[in-house]
Amino acid sequence: MHIPDGFLNVATVATTYAASAGGISYAVREANKKLREKHVPLMGILAAFIFAAQMLNFPIAGGTSGHLVGAGLAAILLGPWASVLIMSCVLIAQSLIFQDGGLLALGANIFNMGIVASFSAYFIYRMATAALGDSRRGRLIGGFVGAWASVVVSSMFAAIELALSGASPLAVVLPAMAGIHALIGIGEGLVTGAALSLVLAARPDLWQSRVVRRSAI
Amino acid sequence: MKHSFLDKYSDRDSLVHRLDPRTKLVAVFLFILAVALTSPAMWPGFAVYFVIIAALVLLSHVPVRYVLKRSLVIIPFVVLIAVFIPFFKEGEVAGSYNIWLWQVSVTHNGLQVFWNVLAKAWLSILALVTLTATTKITDLLRGLEQLRLPRVMVMILSFMYRYIFVLTDEVMRMKQARDSRNFGSGRRLWQIKTVGSMTGTLFIRSYERGERVYAAMLARGYDGQTRTPDGPGFRAADMVFGLGFGAAVVLTCIFSFLYQVI
Repeated sequence: MHIPDGFLNVATVATTYAASAGGISYAVREANKKLREKHVPLMGILAAFIFAAQMLNFPIAGGTSGHLVGAGLAAILLGPWASVLIMSCVLIAQSLIFQDGGLLALGANIFNMGIVASFSAYFIYRMATAALGDSRRGRLIGGFVGAWASVVVSSMFAAIELALSGASPLAVVLPAMAGIHALIGIGEGLVTGAALSLVLAARPDLWQSRVVRRSAI
Repeated sequence: MKHSFLDKYSDRDSLVHRLDPRTKLVAVFLFILAVALTSPAMWPGFAVYFVIIAALVLLSHVPVRYVLKRSLVIIPFVVLIAVFIPFFKEGEVAGSYNIWLWQVSVTHNGLQVFWNVLAKAWLSILALVTLTATTKITDLLRGLEQLRLPRVMVMILSFMYRYIFVLTDEVMRMKQARDSRNFGSGRRLWQIKTVGSMTGTLFIRSYERGERVYAAMLARGYDGQTRTPDGPGFRAADMVFGLGFGAAVVLTCIFSFLYQVI
């Protein structure tokens, strides 16, 4: 879902850069208010974790495979604002150091896979735990649906940006992107659910841990 | 640990290496912006952009093979997104095919946009590869900080870069352990559950490593600041390069636009 350079027109680039800059600067303000120096190395290593976790492929239909985006997992475990910061750093490094995703498209990629993905996963997770109770079952179902939705919703935003830039008409690119990612999203949801289940069994204390609780970041 | 370090040519010495990271970051951004602004039909414009970036690569003493290889790795991902374009552009039909139940037609306009997107993406990637290959990551991050990227993000990025390779090794070891336990023959749902458990384990290990790293840093006097020796500063050479490169890129963009209007 990393948009390369060459696809987006300048108006879309400017809009998504402005939106991402706004989101990041709010996340940084929250971080400076609530994080102590302890959490900076931790967040750096968790950003490296997201990067490494994206190397684990899982099978999808027909011999193809997908990999985790990770925004859902980060948002549920660490809270949405921490997730925005971590995902933004992952995407900046992928663009500048690994050339995965363009530099002009960086604003759009941060907006889709950082801000939109983190918040859609987080809100759906919260809604699920509110409806089903803050039990193991509620958390895992919330994690599955939240992670699935984060992939689908952010792919729809990517489709809208591509269509606004005139790459393909919206009527084609939106159903195509959303359809493919509704399938890939099942993998993301299942992997996220299984990962959450393991964290819940092994280190339940890390879940929305002390610092990065919802109110904290 | 076997990784090809991406800035492995960054300790060479050349005109491009000696530039301030800020100069290079702004120049690359300007270049990609100019490429994006150039109209699809302007092939001469793209040729000039290519000459500019090729000259930069030659000046930088980075092996041309390396730059080409790294830039071509990305192209399949670009094609994956761009592949729909030729089919869904309106205009004169270049060819029409019957694939099973669908009648598919490719238009001239669509093909032009397709090649254009590919050319733009490749030029942009070439510029980014040149930037990464000639700049140490620590210098790049300092450049980003001087360009007003928030401090906390620069620090997260620098920790991230230090631990990417450690955690990548961790993932490789886990994969090896998994594959030697007959992973491939299981059912799909079971495979996905395994990958999920690996991700969860990796999260816990990363988190605990983060806590250990902080404790170790604290014991060595960490106070929330990182100090790095000064890298190259903004000098006359940067001014000359910036003006020359900027003028070449901006003029190409303007001439392409004028040529099209006239």
